Amino acid sequence: MKNWIKRKRSLRGCLAALACLLALGLGVALGETEPTRLTIYEGPKTMTTSETVAVNVNGYDLFVYDVMVNHEHIWNANTQPVTTPMAYFDFEGKVRVEIRMPGLPKEVASAQVLPQSWGIEPQVQEGVVSFTLTEPGQYTVVFNGEVNKALHLFANPLETDVPDPEDPDVFYIGPGEWVMDAIALEDNQTLYLSGGAVLHSILSVNQASNVTIRGRGLIDGSDYAAWNQPGSYARVPIDLNHAKNVTIEGIGIVNSNCWNVNSYSSKDVTIDNVKVISGRQNGDGFTFQSCTNHVVTNSFARTWDDSLVVKNYSGSTKDITFRNIQVWTDLAQSMEIGYETDKGLTLDPEISEVLFENITVLYNFHKPVISIHNSDDAFVHDITYRNIWVENALMQGDNGVNKELIEMNLAKSGWSTEKEEYGSIDNILIDGLTVVNTVEGKMPASRLSGHDEKHGITNVTLKDVHILGNPITDLKTLKLSTDEFCQGITIQ
Amino acid sequence: MYNFRRAIPAGLLTLALLLPSLAWGEEKIDTIVIFVAAPEQTAPERPSCFPDPTADYIPLQEAENLAEGRPVQAGKHADVYVASNVNDGSTDTYWESDGFPAEMVIDLEGTHSVSTVAVCLNPSAIWEPRSQEIAVQVSLDGENFTEVAPAAMRDFDAATGNRIRIDFEAAEAAYVKVIFTKTTASRTMGAQAAEIMIFE
Repeated sequence: MKNWIKRKRSLRGCLAALACLLALGLGVALGETEPTRLTIYEGPKTMTTSETVAVNVNGYDLFVYDVMVNHEHIWNANTQPVTTPMAYFDFEGKVRVEIRMPGLPKEVASAQVLPQSWGIEPQVQEGVVSFTLTEPGQYTVVFNGEVNKALHLFANPLETDVPDPEDPDVFYIGPGEWVMDAIALEDNQTLYLSGGAVLHSILSVNQASNVTIRGRGLIDGSDYAAWNQPGSYARVPIDLNHAKNVTIEGIGIVNSNCWNVNSYSSKDVTIDNVKVISGRQNGDGFTFQSCTNHVVTNSFARTWDDSLVVKNYSGSTKDITFRNIQVWTDLAQSMEIGYETDKGLTLDPEISEVLFENITVLYNFHKPVISIHNSDDAFVHDITYRNIWVENALMQGDNGVNKELIEMNLAKSGWSTEKEEYGSIDNILIDGLTVVNTVEGKMPASRLSGHDEKHGITNVTLKDVHILGNPITDLKTLKLSTDEFCQGITIQ
Repeated sequence: MYNFRRAIPAGLLTLALLLPSLAWGEEKIDTIVIFVAAPEQTAPERPSCFPDPTADYIPLQEAENLAEGRPVQAGKHADVYVASNVNDGSTDTYWESDGFPAEMVIDLEGTHSVSTVAVCLNPSAIWEPRSQEIAVQVSLDGENFTEVAPAAMRDFDAATGNRIRIDFEAAEAAYVKVIFTKTTASRTMGAQAAEIMIFE
């Protein structure tokens, strides 16, 4: 912290001197190109910047947060997370990022900027990593080929139309460290969480409409013990319950003691540029139960449980879109439908019209990347996976099982509520699936299995599948197994 | 055109500068910077836009809570939400019954004159407002109970502390039974109570 303060004071001094130069009329010629616009946020004065990493952008130091993640790739009710660095800023134009890693046991000799598909080649000189960004987005930097202490760098677009703090329907939380037990948002209210803010609290939208949560700040659950520990309970950072017309934009969620962005029986929800990093028990990323018309775009989920999840808890699910999302799954599945598909034991439950589009899986270390586990009795149909890019499919499974690339089944599980009846799965399209890296460079298996002739899997189409650089045009090469209750399974 | 003023948080030190030709090797990046400064703080604070709500809480007696730490008995509980959570002195833990009706018997370990039973949920606003139907009975022997407060729907609201207070004519009691028969909460199938408090 002290070092960081010194750096900040030094920075302010430099800035003041430059301001004087401007005031003296030396003038500045803009040239023909627009200058970069950059917003950086001082961290709370009650917190210290990471000792692991130092990051600057166009010469300006960023405050770096150490946030919980978890490298234990198997369920452990008493798991202990570790930390990894995370920083953020806003910009438009071009920025040069410089990273030093004094906290690593050995000097940085190599680095990768993820997603690899974006083609950013960092330079590494004398332990300093540098690269140029021209587009806002979520970037992850891996050092020396190891995921430990990977840096998550969130380059947000510039904010526009920041809410007026004087508006009576706006709760405006500025930079700094803040704490309160919980915040319940009601009709037509906005909570604005400024960049530089760290809020130890939880937000609920319970049977309310027209609610907005936005900003650049962080919701931080580190004050709470993991939800399954004695005396604790789930403190869901954002919890929608029978909510309608909710917008969530720009914020980050870290150190949650349970799942993260939860929506239950809600509709018309828009989520954009929300970043989730979790390392504790049941730390699902975006999890929607019995919801309608939810759209998640340009977001990030590094999670210690399912990253993107759709289920039925009370009624059916319809019209859910995940688009332009990056996922890092340390535990469980990356894109999961299920297991609970009729927890509420409702009449004719369905999950339909779910779209996963432009999803980049940076890493999956545990269970299937694509999964439909119809563990109750729902009719799951019209599910589309389009342009799924898996950079590291490193599923280790649980003691050698559950490590498929794709898994769809109708089977009872520990999460089943409907113990007798079965549902079905129909009309599934996987259009564009690329896997770049796998365990030992081997083709991962995939598996589809039904229950009986009336409760099976039908009409699954795979197109444009590439694994380890090779186009896959037959199910055998894909190592996809089916049983007699699967019909119409094709690959093109 | 980028609107600086709207991007600057109110009341905070913010600097906006144009840095001509910031050099990175051969690359030059002109940069306009907005530096959003943090306020002076020595500890986390409650955001000023949220006034302290405790002034509106339903008041409870400052006298000894006769229930705290006493033996309790209840039927089957949900998940990990055991009966002993209702009188452990903390509203961070709670009891949840596995369905209705749900009875909670508190052994006062001696005879007392009681006139108030308070039922508290966690005061956090994330606990959805609900009504629970609750009755109170008392007993001197733990077997024969007399009703002192009939079943009635009682409203829990975070705005008033998520607590209700049942006052009745003072009665001698060695055991107090609190009976839950309904809830309007949408996400639980049973009774919930973080603390049950008993006062003379």
